[in-house]
Amino acid sequence: MRDEQKIAASDSGAELIPVLMSLWCYSLLLIWTLLGILAFPFAFSLCLLFLRWPTDQLMRWFIWLYGRGWLLLMSPFVQFRREQMQQIEVGKPCLFVVNHLSFFDTYCMALLPVHDITFAVRSWPFRIFWYGGFMRLAGYLDVEGSRWVKTLRNCRRTFAAGGTVLFFPEGHRSRDGQLQRFHSGAFKAAISAGVSLIPLCIDGTDQLLPPGRKLLHPCRIKLRALAPIDTREFVEVDGHVRLRKLVKGQMAKALEEMRTLDGAVDGLQEIHGRADEENPAG
Amino acid sequence: MTEQEVIELIDSSLAEEFELDRADMTPEANIYEDLGLDSLDTVDMVIVLEGAFGFRIREEEAIRSIRTLGDIHRFVVGKTTENS
Repeated sequence: MRDEQKIAASDSGAELIPVLMSLWCYSLLLIWTLLGILAFPFAFSLCLLFLRWPTDQLMRWFIWLYGRGWLLLMSPFVQFRREQMQQIEVGKPCLFVVNHLSFFDTYCMALLPVHDITFAVRSWPFRIFWYGGFMRLAGYLDVEGSRWVKTLRNCRRTFAAGGTVLFFPEGHRSRDGQLQRFHSGAFKAAISAGVSLIPLCIDGTDQLLPPGRKLLHPCRIKLRALAPIDTREFVEVDGHVRLRKLVKGQMAKALEEMRTLDGAVDGLQEIHGRADEENPAG
Repeated sequence: MTEQEVIELIDSSLAEEFELDRADMTPEANIYEDLGLDSLDTVDMVIVLEGAFGFRIREEEAIRSIRTLGDIHRFVVGKTTENS
């Protein structure tokens, strides 16, 4: 009987955490966003004046800092982990491709050691009124609404200025965590510009806000960078198909490894937790 | 190239580009609802067909009315006959 009461109490505690977490995270995110919008004109003008960076590059830095703030306010409930970031050479132009699990994946890109990241996205995020203006100012690429030639030209311009471009090759969030079909755009862009392609694997954001749910859940989020791929070896006709298959294979393998390790850690914690419960004094 | 060879080249090119399962590629299959292509893929589809058959079709009005794989087959067979 006492055990049943214990289980019921622990269940209600477990149910309460997502509510508390959502209250904490959503309200702080709202405050952080409002503060950002209000402080933006002053801070941006000041930085423009003193740093003298190009407007779009400065905006991308601001967005990265906004993401950093988001990581900080989520940190009481979310464990963030970066893996193999030494694969990324800061200041060297490259194209990132990353799997897509959640709306929050974009925020997690603040885990990257580079801040000059031009996101290539579909048209709908540009219609979010509190983000759209900033995205345009940052020179983000609307791959759905723009002509491909223009997207390619903008990619090359970003690389020429020493920046990076980031694509979600799946185009949509995955509903089951598995990699979906990859679109070819990112691979064609990297080959055409002759820059390295760095695959990134993200895991855990689907646990943060599971599909169809409104409450956030505590989780572990991992972002791993894989080895850069020299795209000059893929310049033949249909080379993008070969590159796409190679990258997808590497990402699937890395994700499986990340999840297996995560599962093993959970299993160990469960065993230790149970042992502690059985032997609280130990 | 026979009509059957044209259809085979269309299907194999699209399957390769869009990671499609050949079993799903029936002439009645809607390219959006059944094969899962989307607005980002339509430009790529035109580029793939142009690359496979060596013609230029991106300005063709008829492309806008394509809905099924059978529509693509008919359109390309028509173009190859026209050009031969």
